[in-house]
Amino acid sequence: MFLALKELKHAKLRYTLMSIIIVLIAWLVFILSGLGNGLSTLSAAAVKNLDADYVVYEDGAKATFSKSLISNSLVDDIKKNKDVKDATPFGAAMAAISHGKKDEEKTDIAVLGIKPGEFIEPKVVEGKQLDPDIKNGVLANDTLKDKGYKIGDEVQVDSSTIKLKIVGFVEGETYNHLPVLFSNVDQWRDYAFAAPGSNNGIKDVVNAIVLQAPDLDPAQLDKSINGIETVTKSAAINGMPGYMEENGTILMMLAFLIVISAFVIAVFFYVITIQKTQQFGVMKAIGASNGFITKAIVSQVFVLSVVGILIGVALTYLTALVFPENMPFNLDAKLVVLYGIALLVISLLSSLISVRQIAKIDPLTALGRVE
Amino acid sequence: MNGLQIKNVTKNYKEGNSSITALNNASMEVKPGEFVAIVGPSGSGKSTLLSVVGALLKPTSGTVSINDKEITKLSSKALSKFRLQEIGFILQSSNLIPYLNVTDQLILVKKMTGKVTKEDQEKAKKLLTELGLGGKLKKYPNELSGGERQRVAIARSLMNDSNVILADEPTASLDSKRAHEVVKLIADEVKKRNKAAIMVTHDERMLTYCDKVYKMEDGILTLQK
Ligand SMILES: Nc1ncnc2c1ncn2[C@@H]1O[C@H](COP(=O)(O)OP(=O)(O)OP(=O)(O)O)[C@@H](O)[C@H]1O
Ligand SMILES: [Mg+2]
Repeated sequence: MFLALKELKHAKLRYTLMSIIIVLIAWLVFILSGLGNGLSTLSAAAVKNLDADYVVYEDGAKATFSKSLISNSLVDDIKKNKDVKDATPFGAAMAAISHGKKDEEKTDIAVLGIKPGEFIEPKVVEGKQLDPDIKNGVLANDTLKDKGYKIGDEVQVDSSTIKLKIVGFVEGETYNHLPVLFSNVDQWRDYAFAAPGSNNGIKDVVNAIVLQAPDLDPAQLDKSINGIETVTKSAAINGMPGYMEENGTILMMLAFLIVISAFVIAVFFYVITIQKTQQFGVMKAIGASNGFITKAIVSQVFVLSVVGILIGVALTYLTALVFPENMPFNLDAKLVVLYGIALLVISLLSSLISVRQIAKIDPLTALGRVE
Repeated sequence: MNGLQIKNVTKNYKEGNSSITALNNASMEVKPGEFVAIVGPSGSGKSTLLSVVGALLKPTSGTVSINDKEITKLSSKALSKFRLQEIGFILQSSNLIPYLNVTDQLILVKKMTGKVTKEDQEKAKKLLTELGLGGKLKKYPNELSGGERQRVAIARSLMNDSNVILADEPTASLDSKRAHEVVKLIADEVKKRNKAAIMVTHDERMLTYCDKVYKMEDGILTLQK
């Protein structure tokens, strides 16, 4: 630290430039991770929020709700498995709603059918929970308030005669980038399978059955009941249309960015180390071990990276304030810490290239021999 | 036996198929409190000898002992520790660390051994003051004259209380007045602190400060005075 800090103080401009590069990289990494997190929340928050371990689909549905149709009667069969604590039906459909006025702009939403009072029903932040006796009652995501929807509103579902009544608001529930209406599963079925025959002749059809079963052996469950496919909740999230593609794109950008930053930092420190060959030779001649010089370099990289990353975090939170409200930007403190540590580790690792160079420096260079 | 013994040291540099004999069976002895000079034409092997004595270079054959310890037998890791404890190098003026102030140049030596104590700080200050740098403790190398820089290098070589001081052309970048000052300083410190010292020089006028003078020619070392 002694050498590292003294030198940082002495060559302020050089190291300020260096840390600006780290700041910019960190900033970009954090913004991308915020965007990625925001997008994935939008596309699958409602599924992520399910207080569940496994999801049962129709066999062959590849963990996609829209490809899966199974009968609600399976819930009872599944509950017979000793590892299943609880099971409840789940259905998803896309719709557009309006207040039913003329020339009114419609709002795209997702209708998720659940059974009132079951474990996957989210807690309301306003109003009442679902009631089995109010068939058309729904819990709406609170972003719909901005579109003028209130508790007690009877909303018109587009291209159907169905009217839904908002009984409560929930928070952070989105599905396929759309705000969610949680509806009584029977009401959902009336809407989603209004066309005759669209239920493939399955009685009490739903898309999937959600399980609370931490110790379940999914293969064993699949074997015991015909025509089902059981996957973990995270597989269910990955099965959401577009989810993997979106996440993959962002992750790829992040990976590239991190690789690029590793190279940039490595090259900079390498050049700086080469420039100091003579100095390090002198230090070695008067008795410095490789370890002593290595510590000086690594602690220098450490200080610069930590400062750069912290400034990057600060800038990211500042920019988050400026971003428009409806931008899918969602900074997860956990992710910020994770990527921050990743960047730090990367820059420390990349400084090892310079460290290798140090070991090669011959203390004889200090004697000013003309080669 | 205290001090420095060099016995039958030969150093060959291999270059492709040919090999250059930079040192040919060189022997000498430097007792504590003795200041020895080595003179000789360019390329005769003076720096090579200093590098061997300073544990920077392994000889092809022969032995170097400092305070009865044969350094030619040490591993390279042990050598850097040995240099730190037993050898004070005085190098050319460019060999100060540019981003450390005068005091820190000396503290660095202590940093290499571990913790720096209050006494070390005091010692650095005392050494520098003795060498006439009391007013420049916080100056950086680029703010010093060549002579002042050499005096810092001398102070640095004394900082670790080593038994041996090695100086390779310490006056190369100095005018003759400064050169006399610097060499006299080294001679004084050697006497006062009872060190074994070797100085390589081109400058015949500096020999008056030395107890013995060796001449190096084509790797062969002979006593002159
Ligand atoms: N690393 C090396 N590889 C090969 N040959 C070397 C090497 N170092 C020195 N030599 C050769 O060894 C001989 C002695 O070199 P040395 O540096 O000891 O001379 P010197 O007496 O210090 O000269 P000067 O007064 O010019 O500094 C020279 O012929 C030189 O070319
Ligand atoms: Mg030389």
